[in-house]
Amino acid sequence: MKAAKVKGLKPAKPLKPNAAKIVAVRLGELRGFAATALQPGATEAQHDMRIAAKRLRYILELTESCFEPAGKPVRHLARELQGILGDLRDAEAMLANATGITSLESLLHTRRELLFARFQELWAEDATAAALAELEDTVA
Amino acid sequence: MARPRDVPGLDCDERFDLAAGRVIEVRAAELFAHADGVLGVEDIEPLHDMRVAGRRLRAALELFRPCFPKKRYKAAIEPLKALADALGERRDRDVAIAFLEGFEAEAPAGDRGRLEILVARLRDEQAEANRALRSHVGDRNLAALRERFDDLIAAARR
Repeated sequence: MKAAKVKGLKPAKPLKPNAAKIVAVRLGELRGFAATALQPGATEAQHDMRIAAKRLRYILELTESCFEPAGKPVRHLARELQGILGDLRDAEAMLANATGITSLESLLHTRRELLFARFQELWAEDATAAALAELEDTVA
Repeated sequence: MARPRDVPGLDCDERFDLAAGRVIEVRAAELFAHADGVLGVEDIEPLHDMRVAGRRLRAALELFRPCFPKKRYKAAIEPLKALADALGERRDRDVAIAFLEGFEAEAPAGDRGRLEILVARLRDEQAEANRALRSHVGDRNLAALRERFDDLIAAARR
């Protein structure tokens, strides 16, 4: 998934306003994938959302001090999303190799369901919505 | 997983292009510092650490892209992407093997034979991925990559 281009960046201007533009676009990407990724079996959207979370996380690792106190909770959220969605993808990939190994198939199906449920639960938490909204306000 | 190194003196009010040079210098150094031991398959953490360092460097390059001349940017990010792909191929097998070996002990006896065959196949793929990775992490290629990043950093500071 290619990152959406961020318009209006100015190398001679300070880091903060440039980083704010980038974080705003990356937050939009994360939200944009959520509606589809929250559907069971939407593996492509879940993969894209993992990549979006990863990009947001690594940008905030560098620039969250510019957006205190709103940056850190979203970095933590992005890290958790990246982990859950990464494990979900690994489980999907392993399932493709598990055909005929009944115990492994069963374990991976259960693991996939638990990870997906955790993803839905995390996204639905009030703290998630609040953290995203606060950072969106900060970079607006 | 290795924590990211702090970027000394990074300041939100600093010029974006000067910050770019500072950040890329630290993130590139992080990548090269994790190159030792990546071809080992007994301890899979060095490869994971180098892969994460590569992701962080790539994210930083994307962040600061407008601060670099196009040609130099391309000359640095393309080999980095190729390295990342090679590390990813190996990592996928490392993760699957570790998971399956952990599961083998608790699997019913009737499934163990098939699990062993699956792990053996993944070990072959891991060895193949390692052969492909070897050239990317050889001294000559890493030195060439380092040079490209040095050029990029110098360009951002001009």
